[in-house]
Amino acid sequence: MTESDKSPGMGPRFSLTAFLRRYGTFIGFLLIVLFFWTQRPQTFMTVPNWVNITRQMSILGVVAFTMTIVMVTGDFDLSVGAMASLVGIVAGTTFQNGGSVAEAVALSLLVGAAGGAFNGLLVATVGISAFVATLGALTVFRGLALYISGGASIYGRVIPAEFSSFGRGGIALGRIGETDLALPNLTIIAIISLILVFIILNYSIVGRRLYAIGGNMEAARFGGIRINRLRLLSFVISGLGAAVAGLMLFSRLATAHPTQGEGLMLQAIAAVFLGMTLSEESQPNVIGTLIGVLILGVLANGLTQMQIDTYIQQISTGVIIILAVTLSSLSGRQTRYRRWLRRLLGKAPEASS
Amino acid sequence: MIAPPLRLQVRRASKAYAGVPALTDAGLDLVGGEVHGLIGENGAGKSTLIKLLAGLEVPDSLSLRLNGAALELPDSAAAYRVGFRFIHQELSIVPALSVAENLFISNPLPRLAGVFVDWKDLHRRAGAVLQRLGIGHINPRRRASGLSAGDAMLVKIAGAFIGVDEGDERLIMIMDEPTASLNSDEVELLFDVIDRLRSRGYALLYVTHRLDELYRIAQRVTVMRDGRVISTHAVADTSTATLIREMTGRSVDEPSADLSAAQQPERLRLRVCNLRTDAVAQASLELNAGEIMGIAGLVGSGRSELLYALFGIDPLLGGDIELDGQSLTELSPARAWNLGIAYVPEERRSQGLFLSDQVSQNITLPHLDRFGVLKTFVNEGRARARSRNLGESVALKITGLRQRVRQLSGGNQQKILFARAILAQPRLILLDEPTRGVDVGAKFDIYRLIRELAGQGASILMVSSELDELIALCDRIVVMRNGRTADVMPAAGLSENQLLERCYEFS
Repeated sequence: MTESDKSPGMGPRFSLTAFLRRYGTFIGFLLIVLFFWTQRPQTFMTVPNWVNITRQMSILGVVAFTMTIVMVTGDFDLSVGAMASLVGIVAGTTFQNGGSVAEAVALSLLVGAAGGAFNGLLVATVGISAFVATLGALTVFRGLALYISGGASIYGRVIPAEFSSFGRGGIALGRIGETDLALPNLTIIAIISLILVFIILNYSIVGRRLYAIGGNMEAARFGGIRINRLRLLSFVISGLGAAVAGLMLFSRLATAHPTQGEGLMLQAIAAVFLGMTLSEESQPNVIGTLIGVLILGVLANGLTQMQIDTYIQQISTGVIIILAVTLSSLSGRQTRYRRWLRRLLGKAPEASS
Repeated sequence: MIAPPLRLQVRRASKAYAGVPALTDAGLDLVGGEVHGLIGENGAGKSTLIKLLAGLEVPDSLSLRLNGAALELPDSAAAYRVGFRFIHQELSIVPALSVAENLFISNPLPRLAGVFVDWKDLHRRAGAVLQRLGIGHINPRRRASGLSAGDAMLVKIAGAFIGVDEGDERLIMIMDEPTASLNSDEVELLFDVIDRLRSRGYALLYVTHRLDELYRIAQRVTVMRDGRVISTHAVADTSTATLIREMTGRSVDEPSADLSAAQQPERLRLRVCNLRTDAVAQASLELNAGEIMGIAGLVGSGRSELLYALFGIDPLLGGDIELDGQSLTELSPARAWNLGIAYVPEERRSQGLFLSDQVSQNITLPHLDRFGVLKTFVNEGRARARSRNLGESVALKITGLRQRVRQLSGGNQQKILFARAILAQPRLILLDEPTRGVDVGAKFDIYRLIRELAGQGASILMVSSELDELIALCDRIVVMRNGRTADVMPAAGLSENQLLERCYEFS
């Protein structure tokens, strides 16, 4: 083929708008870090604090990384928070009935996969919009958690010590000054799930096909991709991620409450959206999601250190998400966000022509 | 005072896309009280001309005079103010609203106390407009969801007259193939309305592919070809033969003798027997290895839908498909690719390409299993190397394999779909309008490629609206009418007029 000498649309001229649109979110992240560093010079930019941040974000991370897979296909999963709560109750009830840690974990993962498959069947096979399907599933999962637990928390001696110590423990890294430093187990799980999702999305055949479905569903079908199967799979992965997060939360708190995972869903979707702003084509991508999770985690950590009210924390988080997405759609292609909007408003996701 | 009839002069209309001229120095006159037909093959420049008049595209040059006064159309609002009204073949009716609300869709609804909808006045005014156009059979209060295609078209037309006073003749109505999805009764109703509009003194520009319609309703006709106006005639003095010759006058390079001579011994590749789907009433054909078979027919004759059935997109309701003697059941696009059937769809942007993705990703998508490592991971290096090879064999012009497909011209985008189609050396290649919206250079690249593929033994089944293309390229041509495969004939010696007659023949 001839290597043409002109490259349309990729002129060398520097454009500030284009630069901000592409890297605005990342610059924003650096500015946030810089801000807290100057505000809390003693404590913020220290290794122990960053280790702490990774532990704080690990649970959100697992949910957001697996959510990225669903969002790559153009769907989303609103039920992850409720699933995380439900899994805590399932594991706790297993302990109450004398089950071992292995049994509790296995059952939890099974519930996560089954819940994800339920969502996937509704969306891919029955063909209702992801918004309605997973909203319904959210309510079902929440109801189940409340029903099984009778609305009460599960805590105390029924929980095996090795289970609750896992969430607080870690692998010793050595000493820095006065403090023992350890890589938290939860951080390790988050890193493992990050690597797995990264490999799936960027190096696997399945990943290419998932992106194709999100890019143009009809062309994907004409291109021989088995769409229903892959959409189902993406929801199963998201359900599994929510189950793992639910176990992590239960282990860390040593308490299972039937609504304790609820905050995860909005934060996870927000993290993926933040990450999409970092991609040239506004596609969900797991490295972007990682930055999104970091932004949310650093904000929570820094604002807490500055003893700012948690309500104000919520407001600032919301403002930052809106800012980032606005920035990235500045004079840029808004097609993907528009498509999202259409889906959110309940239009059937698959063009039935 | 009697106003002189409206007269719109269009001159020097030119427009090029990315350096490829779509419209060159086109001009025509629209006169009040006259229906002016506009005909030409796909890509002749008709729709570009309409887009310029609608203010939807910025012209490279355009001069407009309305009753002698110069006119500027910076945007579509300006076109609307001047009196242009556009009726497209796709019906943009909002089914959830009433007929009356649909009529007022581009106008403010009548109000009560400034905020509430004055339903009574709305229905009264909607009814009045429908009456004025002689469309008494549609109740303005009914919901638009149940309207037939024909009635929806009439509602669309009536909507153009909202806010136009009776007796105001400054309206220029431009209709783009309004009968494409109408049945014959609906067409009659539409023609009644068009006749009424003409007699009221409005100017109409009527774009169509159906010549018989011109003789029914138009007084003058302009023929376009390759972005230029070829001629303007009074319809009454002009024969169909003349119009067809002017529309299709271009000569396609003849298939070189050595390729057609190099015929393999006939071996049956594809046998389709009494195939039936929702959109195909009955299709049967036999295709040999190395043969190029064309499918001709009017829009709506079931041409594309036959390909849908063969590629597993539309489910079969009956009949058999045999590929090299193997009966194909449970066909799906995924299975079709695996069986060695390749497909280049008609709508390359919506059905074929992933515009945000890279060239090599677009080429290899259906074939990722071939580049698998441990059946799980993609070997990007091998995928890119193969894409580069294929890019060369289809004469793809790109800056690199990582280039986003969005940035490519229509011709290069089409070549990407060809590269995808031939990656796995398919036995059967289904092509739907393979050269639509493609510039002339790319067109000849694609013709050459199709002949090469056939020469290598692939069987090709191609749908095309360009009859010259079918005749020049194909060994045999199947004509479809009303969802049926009606005729099969050798392409050699066939004239476009003969072929067109076969397409039009009513059985």
